[in-house]
Amino acid sequence: MNGIHNKIGAADLFVVFLRALLMQASWSFERMQSLGFAFAIAPALKKLYPNGAEYESRLRLHMDYFNTQPYLASFILGAVVRMEEERATGLSASDDVVGLKAALMAPLGALGDSFFWGALKPLAAVLAVALLMTGYWWAPFLFLVFYNVWHLGLRAAMLFWGYTSGGNAVALIARFSFMKMAKRFKVITLSVLGGIIGMAPDWRPEFQPIAPLPFLPMALSWLVVALAFVAILRRGGSPIKLMLGLAALCLALAYAGVLA
Amino acid sequence: MPMFDTHMILTIVGIAFVGGIIGLDRTAVGQCMISQPIVVGPLTGWILGDPTAGIVIGAVLELIWVLDMPVGTFVPADATISAVSATAIAALGNTGGAPLPLIGFSILLTVAMVPVTMKADGIIRHWNSRLADAVMTGPGTDSGRALVRAHLSGLLVFFLKSFVLYLVFLPAGVVAVSVFRQLPENVHLAMSLFVKLLPLLGMALVARKLSMKTIDLFLLSGFMIAATAGQLFHAPALLIILLAVVGGWLGAGYRERHS
Repeated sequence: MNGIHNKIGAADLFVVFLRALLMQASWSFERMQSLGFAFAIAPALKKLYPNGAEYESRLRLHMDYFNTQPYLASFILGAVVRMEEERATGLSASDDVVGLKAALMAPLGALGDSFFWGALKPLAAVLAVALLMTGYWWAPFLFLVFYNVWHLGLRAAMLFWGYTSGGNAVALIARFSFMKMAKRFKVITLSVLGGIIGMAPDWRPEFQPIAPLPFLPMALSWLVVALAFVAILRRGGSPIKLMLGLAALCLALAYAGVLA
Repeated sequence: MPMFDTHMILTIVGIAFVGGIIGLDRTAVGQCMISQPIVVGPLTGWILGDPTAGIVIGAVLELIWVLDMPVGTFVPADATISAVSATAIAALGNTGGAPLPLIGFSILLTVAMVPVTMKADGIIRHWNSRLADAVMTGPGTDSGRALVRAHLSGLLVFFLKSFVLYLVFLPAGVVAVSVFRQLPENVHLAMSLFVKLLPLLGMALVARKLSMKTIDLFLLSGFMIAATAGQLFHAPALLIILLAVVGGWLGAGYRERHS
């Protein structure tokens, strides 16, 4: 990559990237992604340590406990490949890969959970729901494209950034401001949610009210109902309990003759 | 039972197989979100000839479960099994397009499925520990091959979990639908209203998790943009969504500058 570390090339990193897609294939409560990490890095280790015994020992070292956000694990993989390469080529005496993994996995896990699960996914989902509810059948495709441009793009970039920076998480955050983007995505999601409610009269017929209403009264009444749900949710309750509660309310309204 | 003819059984097995494969995306493979309700709902509906049921169920369950996140050791509800099962039950329970009450009832059935899927997920994730133990405590030679074998066998475990659950949920759901048909008209009316209100519950779930406030300013501004553009200018939905995105982006930028 930079002329000094010439044992690992882009093709080797690409293989690690592909294997990292299977990182959670054997996810368990006790060891979490430990086997997945070793599985992803194994081809690079094989290349770095042609000696069978040393390869075995390094591979076992990477079967230690490991858990982070699966996408940002790529950054740690890249950094560890770099550290292993420096060790194998004698460029560095330091081989504290366990320490490096331990130092990075918790902060990157929190960062990744907040950005990917807490911001990008809801934004992509809400955009797709907005389109689907207003009659655009191709919304699921947009959802997949929008999400995966970010997901796969960042996942691949992370691996190379991790490798070139040697695991410098500060440089990573300077390069891509996860928290700032997460905040923006959350605000846009809220805005689109409001937009969906404001478009209530344009929703698919399955979601139209039982009695037809003019545009604005209908949108406003749906807004009031949504805000009432938010107020109820503030008091707690799981989605399951809320769905059951809603079903019970609908039954009560039906038997009270309101829906007739 | 006469309702389970050869065609029905083959369809259930086929859906269980496809659902099991797609379900791998949730945890084991890629996590490219192919397994999200908004994708698998319409896909299952399309396969079974009832895209409307798939669209309605996919949109509703996506909103309800989108922020149920796999953080740490928490195993979220399996929204893939919920969406595929609800759509398949609705489609198999009524040839030629499921009516709205039946769609609502199918969604309600997933409420009973969620705890079972979470329990099953918990069991296999404990079982997976044995895979790691087998490699760690095995002989020190050829760890690479043992690792690949153990790790990839996790895929089979995840697949089998979903496959078996579909084989239980789908026939049970079809039977439940035949019971539902016999229920009074008021129950059907209630299930219609249930479907109409569920998107609002889903939106409220998302809004509550994204904002500290009950009446969020950005949600209200998005509403105002959409209501104004729709009412005054009869703007198409696509343009309104775009305006809401731009409005949100500008609002976020404003808040960053003034906080």
